[in-house]
Amino acid sequence: MTDPTLIRNFSIIAHIDHGKSTLADRVLQLTHTVADRDMQEQLLDSMDIERERGITIKAQAVRVMYDADDGQEYQLNLIDTPGHVDFTYEVSRSLAACEGVILVVDAAQGVEAQTVANALMAMNAGLEIIPLINKIDLPAADPERVRHEIEEGLAIPADEAVLASGKTGEGVRDALEAVVRLVPHPVGDPHAPLKALIFDSYFDAYRGVVALIRVIDGSVSKGVKIRMMASATVTDVEEVGVRRPANLPVESLGVGEVGYLITGLKDPALVKVGDTVTLARHGATEQLPGYREAKPMVFTGLFPIDGDQYPDLRDALERLQLNDPALLWEPESSHALGFGFRVGFLGLLHMEVVKERLEREFGLELLATAPSVEYHAFRTKGDMVVVHSPQDMPDPGHLDRTEEPYLKVTVLVPPDYVGAVMELSDQRRGTFKDMQYLSATTVELHYEMPLSELIMDFFDQLKSRTKGYASLDYEYIGYRESNLVKLDILLAGKAVDALSFVVHRDKAYARGKVLTEKLREIIPRQMFEVPIQAAIGAKIISRETVRAMRKDVIAKCYGGDISRKRKLLEKQKAGKKRMKNVGSVEIPQEAFMAILKVDE
Amino acid sequence: MSEAGTTLPRHVYVHVPVCRSKCSYCDFFSLTPDRLPVTSEALVDALVNQARAWAERGVPPAGIDTLYVGGGTPTMLGDGLATLISALAIWAGAESDAEITIEANPESVTPEMLELLAMAGVTRVSLGIQSLDDDELAMLGRAHGASRAIDAARWVTEAGLDLSVDVMCGLPGQSAADWRQTLDRVIATDAGHISVYPLSLEAGTPLAAAVAIGDAPEPDTDVVADMLLEGAAVLKKSGLLRYETANYARPGQESRHNTAYWTGAPYLGVGPGAHGMLTAATARSAGFIVADGVDRVRYAIACSVETGLGIMPEVTVELLDRGESAREDAMLGLRLTRGIDDGLASRAGVTEVLEGLAADGLVVHADGRWATTERGWLLGNEVFSRVWAGE
Repeated sequence: MTDPTLIRNFSIIAHIDHGKSTLADRVLQLTHTVADRDMQEQLLDSMDIERERGITIKAQAVRVMYDADDGQEYQLNLIDTPGHVDFTYEVSRSLAACEGVILVVDAAQGVEAQTVANALMAMNAGLEIIPLINKIDLPAADPERVRHEIEEGLAIPADEAVLASGKTGEGVRDALEAVVRLVPHPVGDPHAPLKALIFDSYFDAYRGVVALIRVIDGSVSKGVKIRMMASATVTDVEEVGVRRPANLPVESLGVGEVGYLITGLKDPALVKVGDTVTLARHGATEQLPGYREAKPMVFTGLFPIDGDQYPDLRDALERLQLNDPALLWEPESSHALGFGFRVGFLGLLHMEVVKERLEREFGLELLATAPSVEYHAFRTKGDMVVVHSPQDMPDPGHLDRTEEPYLKVTVLVPPDYVGAVMELSDQRRGTFKDMQYLSATTVELHYEMPLSELIMDFFDQLKSRTKGYASLDYEYIGYRESNLVKLDILLAGKAVDALSFVVHRDKAYARGKVLTEKLREIIPRQMFEVPIQAAIGAKIISRETVRAMRKDVIAKCYGGDISRKRKLLEKQKAGKKRMKNVGSVEIPQEAFMAILKVDE
Repeated sequence: MSEAGTTLPRHVYVHVPVCRSKCSYCDFFSLTPDRLPVTSEALVDALVNQARAWAERGVPPAGIDTLYVGGGTPTMLGDGLATLISALAIWAGAESDAEITIEANPESVTPEMLELLAMAGVTRVSLGIQSLDDDELAMLGRAHGASRAIDAARWVTEAGLDLSVDVMCGLPGQSAADWRQTLDRVIATDAGHISVYPLSLEAGTPLAAAVAIGDAPEPDTDVVADMLLEGAAVLKKSGLLRYETANYARPGQESRHNTAYWTGAPYLGVGPGAHGMLTAATARSAGFIVADGVDRVRYAIACSVETGLGIMPEVTVELLDRGESAREDAMLGLRLTRGIDDGLASRAGVTEVLEGLAADGLVVHADGRWATTERGWLLGNEVFSRVWAGE
């Protein structure tokens, strides 16, 4: 166990793409934690998708030993946090394990929405903030302007901001010196009952669930019996250790130390991020503050395109859930799409990442229905129905009122694009709250907006309307009353469940019209006329028709054509088989995708 | 009609893979003369030798009923075509009433050639007129104009030969009036047999590419459907009745050769790119390796003068079992206006499929036969693919 005065626990926080992971890599190199020859780009982002997208999804913790200018060797624990708004709760738990943060700001891009959000979280957690202006080697770098933005926009003194380049390694040592000098050392009572914070967990195929912990009080060592307070789980400690970044077992972890803990538990749901670990006997009586159950915000139906892959999809979800307890799912069946799952995600990025991993790592071909949020529907008889899927929505006749989740949305954008942001937010039912100039080049706008609007490609739209300049952050602010209706799509008179969605009444007509028009283009002509209708309850709000196909015949078929034409017919038939049959109507896959992207 | 078994082929198709130029919509195997590695005399000899070799391979033609020389453009052989016909007719022991057809293009026939062919035994000429509109002919890449086509048709009948004419509808830019005009003028040639083909854009042809890149408008299928219906009505008024998906004839002038294809009769194919169909027993005696359980063998001769012209040409084969043969016969039989009888439907195991198609208004059942309706004619692929799939 190390003397707490020689320990510094810190995190690096940044807006996406501002160079956080590269900087972390340089820290590992500088402290010889990883030999140069073993260095691979963005070592801490261990998933392919993390590296490709340049984002961090899982938290990590690495212990490095640093010989400081004062002649002492310090134990630095670098806790790498998820860098996306979907994972705000996870970030808050990682920050709770630290005493300070390095706030990385790109020397050319300047302060962006997540810079602000992350800085606020660090401030609220009472952490020491060390500003670091990164990428100073870039030709477009303007450290003076960025220093000004940090001071003006974030009210963080920045005259001593570290100037660094993750690419060249310049300034990295200065950053570590600042950590040693400015970040307070951990303080705790070594004689009090154990209290350790679980800030992440992952599943190891040989060892079971591995929890990443930060010891607050007391100590934990191999062989003791522990209790996880929120999940009320008692288990033995098989191993404790530190990550350098490979697992290195140690005798015990004491006050202020960060490491891992292996229990042999096989169910990741029992090891919850934010939970408190204490001793089973004579343990602490109070949990650490801030624990929250992971709560999915976005829901979608995932269906295998090939129905035979249903069991494979279930196995794949089970395996992903081992490392991602926030992923929740239950079986769902659809007349149109067969058997699948309704899956809950922390946010849109989480959804995309999971879908991509299911397809890439498990070889599944999936069809996702329109993402939806958790609506509340109050029936006339007084009770409330939680609506995860459009199918849960009560009939209009029994519906009294509805509520939907709202967000506080923050957009940072150059002044020239304020108009474009206002227009988009208006279209998305946003309520403008206020606006302030962070600097001459950056305006911060605040809106309140339904989550359901944000998940319909809002970010893509925002990016394209601001030529990529806008940055976005949001936080959940609760449920608000809203006039919601379920919009059904009927093909040949039959409602196709997988095409239904919940929408605000004011937008239902426009959406219904656009969608029926789009479906008319996508659904191929068939032997019979196919009416396409959008309906709210029994009321038809728009109608299109796919005319019946009148001619489809191979006219020339002589001796030399027979084999070839037969194969052509087989191919045509196979193409039809890939379509989904609803009643007598053949629906191509694209139809189900169409509702995901609808521009009004 | 012939049934499967040891039936020997009574129909022969000979492929002459030469054309003056390649038409913009065609994906059949043919070469322009400058790319043909042999003289036309050598080509004729080789075709005759390949035909004769079948007899040595244990497939003696059993009193040939029909002989069809297609292409390509057989008339590109000039006088050599007459030589080819007489040699084949003698080899085949053609019956005195045999139907001997040649395909011809208007630009490559002359009255003299037609007289010579008549003497050699030809009874019927299938003339590739395609259109009687000069702009349309140019777009199709045809080597003839409308007036030459009308002359050629007259020369055929003057030589005492039966005339069949091919015409196309659904051409890019073709109006209903344009189509009607071509149709009226074709009827005026007094042809006893007319084939009507809606343009089919075959992958890899210049015309398909032109449509794909937007240089030519894609014909609208509804317009084409109307053209086909109009064609059937106009031809019927002139005494030409539709007897197959694309074929119209005065009673008694139906193509016996092509009818053989649609009724499961075995036929020999000769020449590069030609196809043949033999019963399993015949194929075995011709030296093909044929597994047990196979009922029917389809073969395709290589599309290459080097490998497809010898006496043992390179072939690819397709083997069909009894059920497949029967379903194929049912599928092809439904191309015919008269359809198929209950016996074939039941042998093929497609009675239920036909009942389903009847419910969709695509076929009708009457007097022990299943036949397509007008709707089923135009939506033939639905009928064919469901019958072939047997579901």
